[in-house]
Amino acid sequence: MRYVVGYSATDRGCDAVNLAVALARRQGAHLDLVMVVPEDSPYAVVYPPDAGFESILTEQIKKWLDEAVALVPEDVPVQAHIRKGESEAGALIAAAEEFSAGLLVIGASSYGIFKRFTIGSVASALLHASTVPVALAPAGYSRTEPITRLTCGLGTRPGAEDVLHVAVAMAARRSLPLRLVSLVALDANSTETTVSDAQAHLDAVVRSSPTVDAAVLENLKPDVVVGQGRSIENAVDNLGWDDGEVLMIGSSRLAQTNSIFLGSTANRILRSLPVPMIVVPRHYATGHNTGTAQNEVTL
Amino acid sequence: MSAEALKSRDSGGLSEKGLKAGSVGLIGAVVIGVSCIAPAYTLTAALGPTVSEVGVQLPAIFLVGFIPMLLVALGYRELNNAMPDAGTSFTWASRAFGPWIGWMGGWGLIAATIIVLSNLAAVAVDFFYLMLAQIFNNPELADLSTILPLNIATTLVFIALACWISYRGMETTKSFQYVLVAFQLLVLGWFAIAAFSHVANGTAFDATAISPDWFNPFAVGSFSQFAAGVSLSIFIYWGWDVTLTMNEETKNPEKTPGRAATVTVLVIVVIYMTVALATLSFAGIGDTGLGAGNPENQGSIFAVLAGPVMGPFAILMSLAILSSSAASLQSTFVSPARTLLSMGHYRALPASFGKISPRHKSPSYATIASAIAAAGFYVLTRTLSENALWDTITALGMMICFYYGITALACVWYFRAEVFSSARAFFFKFLAPLVGGVILLVMFVKTAIDSMDPEYGSGSEIGGVGLVFILGAGVILLGVVLMLIMYKKNPEFFKGQILSRGKETVA
Repeated sequence: MRYVVGYSATDRGCDAVNLAVALARRQGAHLDLVMVVPEDSPYAVVYPPDAGFESILTEQIKKWLDEAVALVPEDVPVQAHIRKGESEAGALIAAAEEFSAGLLVIGASSYGIFKRFTIGSVASALLHASTVPVALAPAGYSRTEPITRLTCGLGTRPGAEDVLHVAVAMAARRSLPLRLVSLVALDANSTETTVSDAQAHLDAVVRSSPTVDAAVLENLKPDVVVGQGRSIENAVDNLGWDDGEVLMIGSSRLAQTNSIFLGSTANRILRSLPVPMIVVPRHYATGHNTGTAQNEVTL
Repeated sequence: MSAEALKSRDSGGLSEKGLKAGSVGLIGAVVIGVSCIAPAYTLTAALGPTVSEVGVQLPAIFLVGFIPMLLVALGYRELNNAMPDAGTSFTWASRAFGPWIGWMGGWGLIAATIIVLSNLAAVAVDFFYLMLAQIFNNPELADLSTILPLNIATTLVFIALACWISYRGMETTKSFQYVLVAFQLLVLGWFAIAAFSHVANGTAFDATAISPDWFNPFAVGSFSQFAAGVSLSIFIYWGWDVTLTMNEETKNPEKTPGRAATVTVLVIVVIYMTVALATLSFAGIGDTGLGAGNPENQGSIFAVLAGPVMGPFAILMSLAILSSSAASLQSTFVSPARTLLSMGHYRALPASFGKISPRHKSPSYATIASAIAAAGFYVLTRTLSENALWDTITALGMMICFYYGITALACVWYFRAEVFSSARAFFFKFLAPLVGGVILLVMFVKTAIDSMDPEYGSGSEIGGVGLVFILGAGVILLGVVLMLIMYKKNPEFFKGQILSRGKETVA
């Protein structure tokens, strides 16, 4: 299994490498560090043209990749790649598809004091177009020990079964502890929701999903909790997070099939979340409505 | 598997063709060529100064000016094919003539682009205020650009914006270029037709009958005027050679670049001839009122003529020139920044010029340095000159002749061993660039000497020496001084240890 890391020679790039190492160590994945050499569009009409710049830039990017490889501990297999492209996000997605990567890891830029996640332009483009799950490292993510728990956020709208399927596959791979958070209270705007409601919600999701194996889920013995609070931000705070935890959520139902589009709830969760987040594209796992073969989900 | 093996690196992706490969067809290449030339901007900036030199022989000079451009561009194409990864006057001239002339070739290119940046920004600002005046039907708004502090402040804002966009690595898109080019050609055509109909209806300012003599370059009064006219008309074709350097991005690399270059020059010559004839027929070359010879009109001819010729539709001309000069301003920023970066990288300038922004992967220090230089140059000319636009364009023509000339001769010298290997090599690698380069350097020297006259250009002077000379020669001298300082501080490059002569790859 391979994880593609969209690296940049900034603090955000380090955050991404750290998160990728933490995920790879837990899941036994191989890392592909990718840097993109931006290509001039011929229509950018750079005049007088200077073809020398691209070779100097490529040389610099090789140096940056060397530094990036040095950030990866010896026990994690890693390869570095240079890709060319007019769009950085496009080139990263192409690389992830080429390597059949299970995950695309990037750093989310953050300049605010209170907001952990602010989405930079590349991350934003990825979140709108990626065909593979995208892992976002919060600013300053320095942990490289294996991740300790996966939390899966399940809403009440169609698409919840996709996320659940991917979360179950990821947790089952090496018995990663799983916590399932029902967002039923948030979606229904109710304050009187209990764990049994959450369990009922979860069961409904499992029943409606042709691909989630109830027995496998049973074996994982997931914690089932309710996300509750005056606001989404408050609910996220109330949940309590381990240092080594990762949240997985689905993309908006507005997303085109097989790509990501963050809904407003996901966006608000993202802004208040203290741990990394993985966003799963719509229909990534189940592939229904597409007529295409199902994706092999191994995260 | 050992840890070493795990840390393998695979840069195999590099050898792949980029996404842009094979994406540009003939029409796309022509659009790129025309867009690089930016005819609406070029005409408004260069038509007046050229008329002031050669009068009604404007069409003749516009035609003659293409010859050295063509000859030099043929040499450029050979260098581009021989050293595809090092395509700049700096590296080419360094490989051919060694570090000293290479340094000056790079400096000439940087100086030319910095000067054109300041002129582009100034033209954009003039038409920005003119357009505001046309939108609000209030001519006083157009006069705002004549208030010196406001003019300088607005120009600096335009330069800063273009610098920021370029630093962020943002680029214009294909559809934007198509619209921009079509719009420019449409508006210029409209201007010409409107001007001719005024002439036919007897409502022209100074109706002047077209005469065959206008096309006779030998009718130009003196060699001085001829040289000045040619060095100005080099500027109007500046950008055309980009079509010849396109290669893998075209759908048919064998044929598209050559055909695109031919079609581009035909389109450009037709539009230049039409507009030049229309302007001369409508306004004459008199030095009063709307006359193309009026010094007041030299800096930006369409700012004056578009209103009387096109009536209420003059706003389209403002929009065409504003958009084309703003787009050129942004794309031209990339070039001096990259050449400065190359020079920093090869230690011909302090290493900080070689810095690349880790976030945007663009030259960081060099882009900001270009903006500061363009802003400084503009403030200087605006305060010293009676007609900054006119004088900068004249100095720009000189500077283009200088670095094109050096690059053309670099081509001759670089390929000297292959001259007699074939008839093709003799023509493209020797004869064409030699003749083109010599013509341009002669024009450069002649214009430089003439421009010492305080009456030259707009007639601005400092201590009895013409301002154009001070700008042109001053910039080159500044280059020589900086080069000597660099030699003292960091002689590595100048000893040929970094970019060596000949065909070896870069150390």
